[in-house]
Amino acid sequence: MKKTSIFAPFTGWKYLFRKPVTIPMDDIFKHPRESQDNYRGFHVNDWTKCIGCGTCSEICPTAAITMAQRADVQEEEGSLPERPVIDYGRCCFCGLCVDICTSGSLSMSKAYLYNSPDPEAFVSMPTDRDITGTPIIAGYVKDENSDLLDLKRKPMPEISVEESKRSFVEIVRGYSAEQAKAEAARCVACGICTKTCPAHMNIPEYIESVWKGDLKEGLAYLYKTNPLSAVCGRVCTHKCESVCSISNRGEAIAIRWLKRYIIDNAPDEAYESVVNAKVSKPGAGKVAIVGSGASGLSAAYYLGSLGYEVDVYERREKVGGPMRYGVPRYRLTDEALDRDVSIIRKLGVRFITGTEVGKDVRFEDLQKKYDAIFMATGYPYTRHLKIEGEDSRDVVLAMEFLSEATEYLRGAGPMPDIKDDVTVIGSGNVAFDVARTLVRLQNEKFGKSNVKMMALEQRDQIPADEEEILAGAEEGIEMNLGCGPQKIEIDLETGSVTAIQGCVCTRLFDENNRFNPEFDYNAEVCIVAKQVYLAVGQTSDLSYLPESVSNQLKMYRGKIQVNENRQVEGLPWLFVGGDLIRGMDIINGVADGHQAAIGIDKLLSET
Amino acid sequence: MSKINMQLKELTENVGKSYSVLQVDYPTPNQAALDFQPGDVHAVLAYLKGQGFRQMSLLSCVDWIEDGQFQLVYLLFNWEAGLRLQVRTRIDRANPVFTTVTGIYPGAKYYERDVHEFFGVEFNGNPDSSKPLFLENWDDMPPMRKDFDPQAYSDRKYKAREYKTDFNTKAGEGQ
Amino acid sequence: MKEVKLFLGPQHPGMHGNSSIHMYVDGDIIKRSYLLPGMLHRGFEKSMERRTWMNNIALIPRICVPEPDPNEMVFALNAEALASVEVPERAHWIRMLVLELARLSAHLMAFGGIGGPTGLYTAMYWAQADRDSILTLFEEITGQRVYHMYITIGGVRKDLPKGIEKKILAFVDDLESRLPDYENLVLNNPSVQARTKDQIMLPAEVVWELGVTGIGMRSSTGKAYDLRKVTPYARYDKVEFDVPTATYSDAHTRLTLKYLEMYQIIRIIRQILDLMPAGKVREKALDGSALRWQVPAGQVYSAVEASRGEYGYYTVSTGGTMPYRVAVRGASFPQATLGIEKYLPGHRIDDAALWFDTMGICSPEIDR
Repeated sequence: MKKTSIFAPFTGWKYLFRKPVTIPMDDIFKHPRESQDNYRGFHVNDWTKCIGCGTCSEICPTAAITMAQRADVQEEEGSLPERPVIDYGRCCFCGLCVDICTSGSLSMSKAYLYNSPDPEAFVSMPTDRDITGTPIIAGYVKDENSDLLDLKRKPMPEISVEESKRSFVEIVRGYSAEQAKAEAARCVACGICTKTCPAHMNIPEYIESVWKGDLKEGLAYLYKTNPLSAVCGRVCTHKCESVCSISNRGEAIAIRWLKRYIIDNAPDEAYESVVNAKVSKPGAGKVAIVGSGASGLSAAYYLGSLGYEVDVYERREKVGGPMRYGVPRYRLTDEALDRDVSIIRKLGVRFITGTEVGKDVRFEDLQKKYDAIFMATGYPYTRHLKIEGEDSRDVVLAMEFLSEATEYLRGAGPMPDIKDDVTVIGSGNVAFDVARTLVRLQNEKFGKSNVKMMALEQRDQIPADEEEILAGAEEGIEMNLGCGPQKIEIDLETGSVTAIQGCVCTRLFDENNRFNPEFDYNAEVCIVAKQVYLAVGQTSDLSYLPESVSNQLKMYRGKIQVNENRQVEGLPWLFVGGDLIRGMDIINGVADGHQAAIGIDKLLSET
Repeated sequence: MSKINMQLKELTENVGKSYSVLQVDYPTPNQAALDFQPGDVHAVLAYLKGQGFRQMSLLSCVDWIEDGQFQLVYLLFNWEAGLRLQVRTRIDRANPVFTTVTGIYPGAKYYERDVHEFFGVEFNGNPDSSKPLFLENWDDMPPMRKDFDPQAYSDRKYKAREYKTDFNTKAGEGQ
Repeated sequence: MKEVKLFLGPQHPGMHGNSSIHMYVDGDIIKRSYLLPGMLHRGFEKSMERRTWMNNIALIPRICVPEPDPNEMVFALNAEALASVEVPERAHWIRMLVLELARLSAHLMAFGGIGGPTGLYTAMYWAQADRDSILTLFEEITGQRVYHMYITIGGVRKDLPKGIEKKILAFVDDLESRLPDYENLVLNNPSVQARTKDQIMLPAEVVWELGVTGIGMRSSTGKAYDLRKVTPYARYDKVEFDVPTATYSDAHTRLTLKYLEMYQIIRIIRQILDLMPAGKVREKALDGSALRWQVPAGQVYSAVEASRGEYGYYTVSTGGTMPYRVAVRGASFPQATLGIEKYLPGHRIDDAALWFDTMGICSPEIDR
């Protein structure tokens, strides 16, 4: 310390001649200082990106954000017509809303000056302007460090490709409790998925149950809308995941795997309570369900739980339809399906198997015997291509082949007659099921595989699920995309198939966006094959219906027209669901079955 | 986690020789949490003060309402060795009485008053501990107890703000 | 003479934040005195139990206005200790930078604040202007000037903005060159000296009795009782700095230590800018979105050396999305409560404000 001088303090006088560091009062409003680049000022919301998920409102520590219903925002898949409103009387400018915003629409401006004598004027709905209403200068935005979402999905344990392509062991092994909890913790419970799910499952609710570890509650949520959760937890097309708000910037929550986790791990007493859930007034009436696919089983469950007497007619020996005789067991095991079916059986639903309506029992007799009929016979037959050579013995139909293969694997039939060099025509999920089943059977029979696929579609047009396409490629399936088959070449001497002749497909959809392929007949393609598998779509067979019924059905683009309760107009006792009324998808079937059950209950409880 | 400080380990072992330690935990390498019966706390604190833990950084309380207990936590620090101790004990929540430690750590006087005000624990031997400190004209249970609901209290005491501006729009309205 | 009841504060230029000293005086001499706290009691500890771990980051800096960052730091340290999280290397250095800048701004505020009780307002204006430059640096680093909400569980929320190092260096260079002016203005000022030298003593026994930490402790014990040295957190073991100490603690000594510490802060900041590695600044410490972060169950206390002494949180988690209990140890609690009751009496009325100022007292952290 220096020696004290009486003049020491006066050295400060030199500051008299320096430029002041303060800002004159006048300039504060007239020429306000611009804040720094990172400044958390007022909110800005890009409405073209905002999906109305409300996560900003969820995280707000001061409850400053509410969601307003907006009629001027279009209702679309993957979003809600809501937008955040911010009360600056509460806001603490922490920016957590920006950091967690799922779509990345929220940010903050650099503005910091705003005043009004009216307290209402501090409540604002940000758009591309902030509360000040003037053109904004961008301030705080989030980056990967400040992001408060977990964008990465917990990896699903799977058996290796090498192992899987040689066996029919289920590929997906399912989450452990720890993995499931961690995956469920990523969910922000916005509920956008619920809107998109055809069955409107309580997705955020059951994910929260997984996160809390309460599988009993989770199972109850599943059964509210879906009695085939063991099946859907494995093979659902998961439209919910494609709209998941996390998928805007990251990987969607593994909703399907979490559903599967509940089913696989819920304790037995949880299942008991599902079966024993009593209704206050049991329904009175008899219902026949024709077909035991997804929609048939779903309707059976809900009608059974309402106390109706339900008979399900199934032409095959076992129930489940395509879930039993179509989907290969490396994707869906019999055990999973049996678990769902056993619950339905426990409700008192009767399954009359090996009985084909229209052959073993007349539809008219059902009409007399039952108070209502639910038609759920689906699309069980493979469509034909109508090209030359199609009637050869080496041309195999997809559904018939898959049925044979599944029967073989459960020891109920011989190994299908497969060759060592095959081509599958088509690129939907069924085509991939056929191709990947062939890989496995070939490996079993020949020790190696040689499976090719041929499809009209380009890579980005393939209708199959992305994971099927990737798995197919990993298993060594050769893809021939963008070409259409014209003729199947047959060796005249032996009568065996030798190749497929095709040409390049130049266009798939016409200007009205309808399926209407065009070809360049000069650009020829030839794919060598000893067997051809047709998997270009399925079709129904309604010949079991008497004319009195079929005449009453109104069809539109091949689908039966029904009202919102899946009821046929003019035939109030007849309900239809599943593939017969809309696109082929298990979850659609589940939703139809549920809705039809509601409709049937309404019909029977009113009369 | 890095290795637990040897000196700290030795110390807790020594404490264990003379007093019955119910549980030991090392939340960080230089911090140990020791649980005692209420009757042992004063002797332990006096012993530890003699072992270099001259500072009581904080006395606090945790309401384990489901166990029906209050947990008193004495945080001690040894400035020479850089070691920290949580000396903890649990007392009956229905009859929350304890004896003051101001005889050992005089600085505890106001911390005890704080714990009394927010949790309702009486400290025998600290006559000032039951005087109010922070909360003027408080008219409810000690507010840090888990069964005190501040939202309900505030809803009861204050009117919620009513907003006049409504940003919800119905069909046909909007920008 | 009759004893007169007198209140100092809650509004008084010598008081830091809103609290009041309730005293009974006989003439100029204080006979009995008590702190009347609670004017800034906002139920922080209760609120923290009702907010998620991340939402608390937005709340807790408000516990201390002049130096909010230690709140964020100890809250994060506790959660990281419970969750066994390793913070990225760069985040340690950024945290140190923020804490040192905060210490500098708090020291400036308190050092200049001596202008209140001594009538030397120039010191206050200078210090506020310099503190404001630090706030501008904070604004660029964290997005806000006063409540930064920047240090978070697993690291810091954002990396440093490009080019900030230069601005920080320019500022500390400039401040360092002007620190002697502060010395001349305040420490060498005969009127300040007359008010502070040999006044408002804090003997070592009192330090131990009350539990005083920080400069108060170091100015009377002569030991480097600084948590940055005693239990180094972040990367304080990787930087060189001295801890000024003294064995004679009058108000002037404590002011002087504060002044000398500013040089050490600048020394640390220069080393940080020199040694700070590149890399990520936040570890995704807990599973899921911030709405569902859960910290493993446990009870832990963490403390840092704030400008006024040991500043710590005791955190109890039961594994939920919110802390089960957080207890705040404000550095000024011992000297402001028991200190005022026991050791202010005997001083003159006009010493009370000075007592409050040089003991390192900040009302909001007492009230919580």
